Amino acid sequence: MATALLDELGCGDAVQRAESWRYSRNAIRALSQLDFAPAAGDAVFDAPLREQFEWPQTRGRRLVFVNGRLAPALSDLVDADASVATPTTGVCTLRLGPTAGLVHLVHVAVPGATATRWQARLEVEVAAPRACLVEHQVGASGADVLGVLDIGLALAPQARLEWVSLADLPATTSLVRRATVSLARQAQLRSTHAVFGGRLQRLELGVAIRGEQARLESRGVFVLRGREHADIQLDISHAARDSACDILWRGVADQRARAIFHGGITVEPGADGSDAGLSNKNVLLSPHAEIDTKPALVIHADEVKAAHGATVGQIDERALFYLRSRGIALAAARRMLVAAFCAEALAGIDDAALRERIEALAAARLPAPEGAP
Amino acid sequence: MLKIENLHVRVAGKEILKGLSLQVNAGEVHAIMGPNGAGKSTLGNVLAGRDGYEVSQGSVTYDGRNLLELEPEARAAAGVFLAFQYPVEIPGVNNTYFLRAALNAQRKARGEGELDTMQFLKRVREKLAVLHLKDELLHRAVNAGFSGGEKKRNEIFQLALLEPKLAILDETDSGLDIDALKMVAEGVNSMRDPGRAFIVVTHYQRLLDYIVPDVVHVLADGRIVESGDASLAHKLEEHGYAWIAERRVAGAA
Repeated sequence: MATALLDELGCGDAVQRAESWRYSRNAIRALSQLDFAPAAGDAVFDAPLREQFEWPQTRGRRLVFVNGRLAPALSDLVDADASVATPTTGVCTLRLGPTAGLVHLVHVAVPGATATRWQARLEVEVAAPRACLVEHQVGASGADVLGVLDIGLALAPQARLEWVSLADLPATTSLVRRATVSLARQAQLRSTHAVFGGRLQRLELGVAIRGEQARLESRGVFVLRGREHADIQLDISHAARDSACDILWRGVADQRARAIFHGGITVEPGADGSDAGLSNKNVLLSPHAEIDTKPALVIHADEVKAAHGATVGQIDERALFYLRSRGIALAAARRMLVAAFCAEALAGIDDAALRERIEALAAARLPAPEGAP
Repeated sequence: MLKIENLHVRVAGKEILKGLSLQVNAGEVHAIMGPNGAGKSTLGNVLAGRDGYEVSQGSVTYDGRNLLELEPEARAAAGVFLAFQYPVEIPGVNNTYFLRAALNAQRKARGEGELDTMQFLKRVREKLAVLHLKDELLHRAVNAGFSGGEKKRNEIFQLALLEPKLAILDETDSGLDIDALKMVAEGVNSMRDPGRAFIVVTHYQRLLDYIVPDVVHVLADGRIVESGDASLAHKLEEHGYAWIAERRVAGAA
């Protein structure tokens, strides 16, 4: 059963799958023990879950999927230059037009009576000179839900997209996202991923920089506690001259949480003039938490600038004492330092209201209240 | 206000303070001078409650309470302030946010009402004006990218804002140019008050030309070996610390 789920979710041959899922094998094995029934696309849910995504700011610009299926009654794109098509193939296509502005794309995981799972595929085409896609994953506590979402994102030449991805999940929700992104000539993608909670969150972000002078800026933060498990797999490929990627991720794990960060960058032959940078810093708040980080740069071109750095450390005791010596209580001081640590990765979000919302969610998650499991 | 009796402190297994006794009354300014490694910074850190300082003997009573039992934040709320020798850079934490959180946490712990944004900013502006500081300081992250002098000024600004009852200045003068030194001294002098005490830890007598202490102590090898009035600082400047050591040897003989 474990192999069945892994066969289904993993890409490549058995060796590649085993390597890529190495640190999450136990998590997926535990998940395999569950007997998943298909999740209902017409599941109803109550107000607290609804309030998580019904932001006044995105009214008229929102697309909602329930357990992977488009929920027209909850969706409204009247104010956005965007269109959505859901042919019977099950692939949903979202087109962001030249004046798309912000589009709020919500996936809601609604638990059933027993363990359930859903699967969906979404294609996003961006021709806009400037657009903002807020991809938002929420769920309610209850029986286990496993969601598998494939996202295809194509940026046309000179398109610019800000992709803000917020996955704020309860400890009974698992989510596997496989994003395949391609950037055409002079396209610019700035993505900011906030990965909060979840029993198992796996994010595969594969970006093919195909066009000259295209640029990827990937920001991200994961904040985990309890027995939450997140597995971030970045795979960036530079296939064109003078392209750039700038990756900055921050991670925080408390209690018995576990995180994996794989930052893979490949510069293909001929992609001269590429500039690749990767920074991943992590903080462990508990001796039982674990974070494995691995930058992997493979360079096949000559004229390339590449830099990487990855660290796992503890909260700065000197800073903690400094704050406490001014009267700030230990828990508040820890929260302040963790929030500051994450802030750098969220600073790129242009929309201040959105940024503050995500910062507040991050701050609220940590450090966990005293005595929690 | 503060009574330290026979204090023995170990750091990483090594005894640094070896029976230090000191009494500081409200309204007084005490200077503590001494050579490198005498235990001056240890004294400040142990009073502020830093981890890793093991008190093996002795007592510290502050306002009638056992200071050593209190968490660092409780000491701050009780009115103890340490101006750090090496203020810590905290990128990502805005200075104004930090100061307001600190002040309100202290007020809350004392059962006083928290200040709202307007009240807080009014108080901040008053203090900035007294210290001739620019409000640009407020918009930056705590000490991040500050020069050595700016960090020390920020310590004095925090001192002015938080209005502690007992302020310990740990080599606040080190690395300061003469203008910054004067500013620090002016800040301290403007806060001298019958209800407030200062312990000024320094290597050099220079700062004490501007902050004239009531009592000068010489700390050597973990103990106070000599106390006197402000003129003691000048004698030290003239003769060096070796002079004290010679006098002790002579005294013992």
